[in-house]
Amino acid sequence: MTTTTTDDLPRHRAPRAAAYVAVWIALIVLATATLFLSRAITGGPGLVVAFVIATGKAVLVIAYFMHLAGGRPIHRIAFSTAMAFLVLLVIGVLADVATRPYSGPDVDDLGGPP
Amino acid sequence: MTAPARPAAPVVRVHFQYDSLERQHATASLGMWVFLSSESLLFAGLFALYAAYRFAYPVEFHAASAHANLVIGTVNTYLLLTSSLTMALAIHATRQGNRRRTVALLCATIALGLGFDVLKAFEYADHLADGLAPGAYYAYDALQPHGVVLYVTLYYLLTGLHALHVTGGVVVLVWLAVRAHRGAFTPHSYIALENGGLYWHLVDLVWIFLWPLLYLIG
Repeated sequence: MTTTTTDDLPRHRAPRAAAYVAVWIALIVLATATLFLSRAITGGPGLVVAFVIATGKAVLVIAYFMHLAGGRPIHRIAFSTAMAFLVLLVIGVLADVATRPYSGPDVDDLGGPP
Repeated sequence: MTAPARPAAPVVRVHFQYDSLERQHATASLGMWVFLSSESLLFAGLFALYAAYRFAYPVEFHAASAHANLVIGTVNTYLLLTSSLTMALAIHATRQGNRRRTVALLCATIALGLGFDVLKAFEYADHLADGLAPGAYYAYDALQPHGVVLYVTLYYLLTGLHALHVTGGVVVLVWLAVRAHRGAFTPHSYIALENGGLYWHLVDLVWIFLWPLLYLIG
């Protein structure tokens, strides 16, 4: 093991403080929009709208707060692979339950009073 | 004999397998992203369960989520989004060499995380007092357990696992704040702070999806 001082290392590129505040404002606006839209659009379509906005917020956090946008490509490969498997898992499970001849297992035995 | 002068920049260890500190930091950063990826897949299993049961019991899930505390859920959303900002700004302050601002912003992040946990605890207490308990402990008279108990159990699993992550994140942030206060981070070397920040942002990311799925479908 060796030791070194940190003076010679290059500074990392990163957004300015104002850019972080702008992303935060966008996140707050999107969260508030989700809240009001969930009251206006209910049921399945409402869930889709909320999910799409949540995905937009997640992209903002990942790209700017977590610096994936300007980071190393290997980080993008690692994380996007996990996200792809996550989406595959949910799509596979939904495809399964959507094509079953019955709506789901009888859950009365799983808990609660008789 | 006089005491040795304190170095201008902290001396950090470069482990034997690396030829430079920069490469060591790059490895630590990649390791963190792989860890975050595996964390995401931990939650993915529960999200898949939610998707399956939400599909099978849409009416029951809507009825049950109407009993979630929307005010607390929404305030907690704003708390975590703001904590992500203070975390990002803390790292930004380190890059600028502003130690005092780094520590102050880390303390703000810790306070917001603790605020989240406290509100969550009040919410759990309310639910349990009403009998909205998971699995076989469900005893809420206003809603038949059929289907609803699945939502309630998933609610506790998802929010409980997330709250554990928030609490773990707060512990990490306290450690980082102490290290920042002692001057362990410089504008050129702050990999522990950066990785701690990545973890905190992941906690925020998970909640960004939990909030609409659990609170806004009613």
